Amino acid sequence: MPRERNWKGWVGKQLMFPMLGLWAIAIPERAIAHGATIEYRSIPALEVQASYDTGEPLANAQVTVYSPENPADPWLTGTTDDQGRFIFTPDSAIAGNWDVQVRQAGHGDIVSIPLEGTASNQSTLVVAGSGSSQSTSLLQKAVMAGSVIWGLVGTALFFSARSKKHAHS
Amino acid sequence: MHIPDGILPAQVCAAGYAIAFPVTWYSLRKINRQPDPTMGIPKAALLTATFFVASSIHIPVPPTSVHLVLNGLLGAVLGYYAFPAILIGLFFQAVIIGHGGLTTLGVDALMMGVPAILAHQVFQFRHVLSRRFNQRFSNGFCAFWAGMVGIAIASLIFFTLILTTIPSGFDVTTERSAIYGLTLAHIPLAILEGAFTTMLVLFLQRVKPELLDDPWHRSLVSHPAYNEEIERV
Repeated sequence: MPRERNWKGWVGKQLMFPMLGLWAIAIPERAIAHGATIEYRSIPALEVQASYDTGEPLANAQVTVYSPENPADPWLTGTTDDQGRFIFTPDSAIAGNWDVQVRQAGHGDIVSIPLEGTASNQSTLVVAGSGSSQSTSLLQKAVMAGSVIWGLVGTALFFSARSKKHAHS
Repeated sequence: MHIPDGILPAQVCAAGYAIAFPVTWYSLRKINRQPDPTMGIPKAALLTATFFVASSIHIPVPPTSVHLVLNGLLGAVLGYYAFPAILIGLFFQAVIIGHGGLTTLGVDALMMGVPAILAHQVFQFRHVLSRRFNQRFSNGFCAFWAGMVGIAIASLIFFTLILTTIPSGFDVTTERSAIYGLTLAHIPLAILEGAFTTMLVLFLQRVKPELLDDPWHRSLVSHPAYNEEIERV
């Protein structure tokens, strides 16, 4: 078998040269006959920005896009850039919720982007993140965290005061 | 370290809750069987606050960054109080800071709480060690290992869970190498948490040694070395 394959390869190589010769004659003519054209038009695209809650971008993280028609199999896969950004153009014919999942080493999130059919040609900028972490400001978070800590310290003080009273009585 | 919502399949989240429930019950029963169950609440509450804040303290380990977990520390100092403490701390972290998630609360509680109980067992070993070495050394030594074991086992559980649940559509090799990178970053963190636990335990031993009393060790009171230490301090 190997010998036969070698023989076929040899024939292939022998045939390559005459073929290339033919191409060399043919190409200049074809190139003159067919010029290239580049057209452009603007289409709406979606930019997804993924970052950790510290503000650090989720760089080079894997992205999967699920179309509303098939939420089980990814419609598109890719990776974010160094800034945690990922730009894609959804098929505007498919209306519904487009799910974009960003994941790196078990960290990440999923965002659902509602897209209306061909009628809406607006591009939307969507910031990925859970609802709770986006809807509160840093100050609000700090105040809430402060009250939790105060609640816990208060619990500690309450029970330590109680146990002291028990010890005295 | 916290597994957020949407990373794990629903079955795993449900299983997490299903296992976390009896573990919480077991810990509460252990607490309730002490002579005075409210005795440990002040330090448990304070350490819950510490645990709650700790996850916001990020430590840069190039090329990534990790955050403190302190589950080993909680386990060493609190014993069985550590599990409910971690559960409460995780709930507040999920709701307020956005670390972890409510669907993964059960899984996260097991991932950090069970190693905390193991860390408690490691810290118990100080009673054995103190027969040969002085109290200060055996406390410090066991505290270091307790702190390390807590975070090390928690990260092993984390990476096993994440590795086995990479969804289809993701490039497995890329995700795997990212996971391995993060695993390696947890080695310096484990040493750091071990050192931190040692510092806290030695500090408590100097300032308020009764805080290190552990109601689950029956031979404690009868142990001569320990009583000597108490009297000396």
